[in-house]
Amino acid sequence: MSSPTSVRTDDPPAVVLTGITKRFPGVVANSDVHLTVRRGEVHALCGENGAGKSTLMKILYGMQAPDEGTIEVNGEQVRFRTPSDAIKAGIGMVHQHFMLADNLTVQENVVLGAEALHGIGQKARKRIIELSGKTGLNVDPGVLVEQLGVADRQRVEILKVLYRGAKVIILDEPTAVLVPQEVNELFDTVRGMQEQGYTFLFISHKLDEVRAIADSVTVIRRGTTVGSADPKTVSSRQLAEMMVGSELPSPETRESTVTDTVVLDVKGLKLLTPDGSRPILDDVDLVVRSGEVVGVAGVEGNGQTELVETIMGMRKAGSGTITLQDKDLTKLGTLARREAGIGYIPEDRHRHGLLLTQPLWYNRILGYQTRKPTAKGVWLDIDGAKQDTERIVTDFDVRTPGIDVPAAALSGGNQQKLVVGRELSGEPVLLIASHPTRGVDVGAQALIWDEIKRARAAGLAVLLISADLDELIGLSDTIKVMLRGRLVADADPNTVTPEDLGSAMTGAGSTSAAVQETAVVEEGEN
Amino acid sequence: MITTMEEKPHVPAAPRKRKVPGWAVAMIGVAGAIALLSITSMQTGFPQLTSSGTTQTAVRLMLPILLAGLGGLWAERAGVVNIGLEGMMIMGTWGAAWAGYQWGPWAALVAAVVFGSLGGLLHAIATVTFGVNHIVSGVAINLLGAGLTKYLSTLLFQPLSNNPRQSPPVQPFDTYSAAGLADWLGELEAGQRLFISDVAGILRGLVTGVSPLMLLTILLVPLSYYLLWRTRFGLRLRSVGENPHAADSLGVKVYFHKYVAVIVSGGLAGLGGAALVLNPGQLSYLEGQTGGRGFIGLAAMIFGNWRPGGLLGGAALFGYADGLQLRSGGETVLALVYGVVLLLGVIVVWQLIRRKWFSAAAAIVVAVLLYLLYISLDEIPGEFVSYAPHMVTLAVLAVASQRLRMPAADGLVYRRG
Repeated sequence: MSSPTSVRTDDPPAVVLTGITKRFPGVVANSDVHLTVRRGEVHALCGENGAGKSTLMKILYGMQAPDEGTIEVNGEQVRFRTPSDAIKAGIGMVHQHFMLADNLTVQENVVLGAEALHGIGQKARKRIIELSGKTGLNVDPGVLVEQLGVADRQRVEILKVLYRGAKVIILDEPTAVLVPQEVNELFDTVRGMQEQGYTFLFISHKLDEVRAIADSVTVIRRGTTVGSADPKTVSSRQLAEMMVGSELPSPETRESTVTDTVVLDVKGLKLLTPDGSRPILDDVDLVVRSGEVVGVAGVEGNGQTELVETIMGMRKAGSGTITLQDKDLTKLGTLARREAGIGYIPEDRHRHGLLLTQPLWYNRILGYQTRKPTAKGVWLDIDGAKQDTERIVTDFDVRTPGIDVPAAALSGGNQQKLVVGRELSGEPVLLIASHPTRGVDVGAQALIWDEIKRARAAGLAVLLISADLDELIGLSDTIKVMLRGRLVADADPNTVTPEDLGSAMTGAGSTSAAVQETAVVEEGEN
Repeated sequence: MITTMEEKPHVPAAPRKRKVPGWAVAMIGVAGAIALLSITSMQTGFPQLTSSGTTQTAVRLMLPILLAGLGGLWAERAGVVNIGLEGMMIMGTWGAAWAGYQWGPWAALVAAVVFGSLGGLLHAIATVTFGVNHIVSGVAINLLGAGLTKYLSTLLFQPLSNNPRQSPPVQPFDTYSAAGLADWLGELEAGQRLFISDVAGILRGLVTGVSPLMLLTILLVPLSYYLLWRTRFGLRLRSVGENPHAADSLGVKVYFHKYVAVIVSGGLAGLGGAALVLNPGQLSYLEGQTGGRGFIGLAAMIFGNWRPGGLLGGAALFGYADGLQLRSGGETVLALVYGVVLLLGVIVVWQLIRRKWFSAAAAIVVAVLLYLLYISLDEIPGEFVSYAPHMVTLAVLAVASQRLRMPAADGLVYRRG
């Protein structure tokens, strides 16, 4: 009756997106996207960070309206204004960041907003237990969600969309938060539900996972679909090429300024999850020398953020030492580490870098409240701060009407130039740059790159974290690949290509001589 | 193959079984409290600790605190911190007096609820619609409540009572007593037998001089529980206090539920004001009458871990401390210190069993200090006695605030999108 994959080709497709275009002020998030999902299949949507996957799914789920294009569900054209319209049409979404209330029970979380279906009492409970089996959730509906682990929370999210009668389920990067074994369990669940006729849209940039679970793959790059592939025959490498694009930038050839002076020396750094169950950073050793840019490549969520925040003292390391120019930083607080000579461009300038409601000169003081020119003894030096802000505005080409406007009035690129200017002040010996050009325009990007290169030439040590592989390859003297909390491979930026790097990042194994594995990481066992 | 990655096998979360149901815990708590008081009154020779008179006063004084606490429960379960309970309560006292002296006690209740709700509405508009910091708005409402009633009572009460700080007397509720039962309990109480007499005294206090307001208030506790935990409306309201973004993504009207919760909260606080005005000892509006009971109500709610049952316990504790000092003065409050020493003794043993050395040591130190205080004084100075409830509030919150779980989005301003 059914083929092994239970994909039915004679019915109208479950979802067809035609010519979807979505513009935001200044950016085109999606342009002319075409996507066809057949009923009963697992359809993977692949693309790099920022390629437009999330926007597309928000459009399909009714959270945003497309500027152009049409959506068809089961052969009928539909128009979603809110997520509830999408739910009514049988589309459910499991968000990457769970939408659960921890202090409510599983049952309460599931029935919330859909009480009309089976009430909130015994009938609902029965229905939840019935559906639990499908998702592999094996807990009493009466337990609080806060007592569940990540994998079970995800099952509760799936349960929520099932309870509302969804037939097409969007999984937004579902494996990002799971450990390999949990990924395998999720895949078993997905296959089981597929047998029962559910359709999945699986969003991911982990190519090995896509190949393991999907029946078909659509690749999206720079906001548009660039093609489809059969995961049975395509290789991870070919997929990576489609994701990154064929026109690869040639690595910059330039003189090395790397010296022998070790600036940052990290030894055996370990960090556990707050509940102590698994390591986020696992025995990380890292050396950055004066005049050297060390790039760390990795799929987001593999410990790069935590590595940076541990070096900055924002998280407390479980064990290991951090040394800056022979000075032991391990026990110092963040301010003392900054005073020792670390400049820090945080990955999220709104959360960590700036006070958006405060004027620019005020933001200049942050992190430098004990040092010249923004402090005199125990007092803040407002005049000094203002003067120095003027200098940064001029030198770093920050486009602003003045230094008294709040930081929120500046565009993202100009905010970032201000942060970069501030962090390169005060003669740091080490710059930690976390996604320094994320979400900034091309002009600001070029300026920030130039400033980093200039500082490097002057002997600054730079630790660069980036999801932009071209940026990593172009700027770095050494590239380390981070996977599941460990530095697993070294790459030579002079010879490595983004695809090589990409496959090393996703754990697909080295495909090139330019990437040398330095540690063995166990893949998820079957 | 070398590997250092430890892969945690998938373990389904073990459901935490509650060994003892909630009502049993409550019964054990009540029995323990009575036993403690009973031993204390025997050791110190103060039968007033468990007399029917003390209980009766305690219940009357508990009502405003309980109502304010319920008000806090409603608001905070929907994620709005309501520090303005005191102000809403003051507005309730004025409303109760204004309607009460003209149309009787039932009108007083209605007016108090209406006035309190207006305060709640204001708080909701400020915090929910305009995103004002909850504490700032609450403090403003406290100031506004005090100022507005001062103005209104000068305007409307002074011509009648010749006093800008007091209203004309309000007609009280009729009270009811279970006469036969009370007499029998009275005999038992007079018998001065350990525990039995104490229980009889407390029960006699509970069945004597019961007013409709008292019954209504006690009924509001299970009613709040039922509404908030057993209905669809309550689930939505609580979800808004836990994770408004999740609730919104599921089609719950976040603003609507917050508004309802805060208005109900104000109404309950206003009703608490009416309970003060209709207290048989007073029977009129008096400036400064609330005396911080709105805040104590909030403390009772926190003590009760944002649950109605625990809140009832907290309110009873504060009402008892208040009632004892009013009824019997400094000597008996000192006797209560002895009771606290006994309680600390129990805590020390418990902590030693659980091998919490630091907590045990801290409890020993406090117990010794309190015991020294007890044997060195004959009577707590009058200046301190009237602050006994506040002291209890402070002490209880300092000790109890460790394992509390407030609604996750409590006090956060929610913006759509």
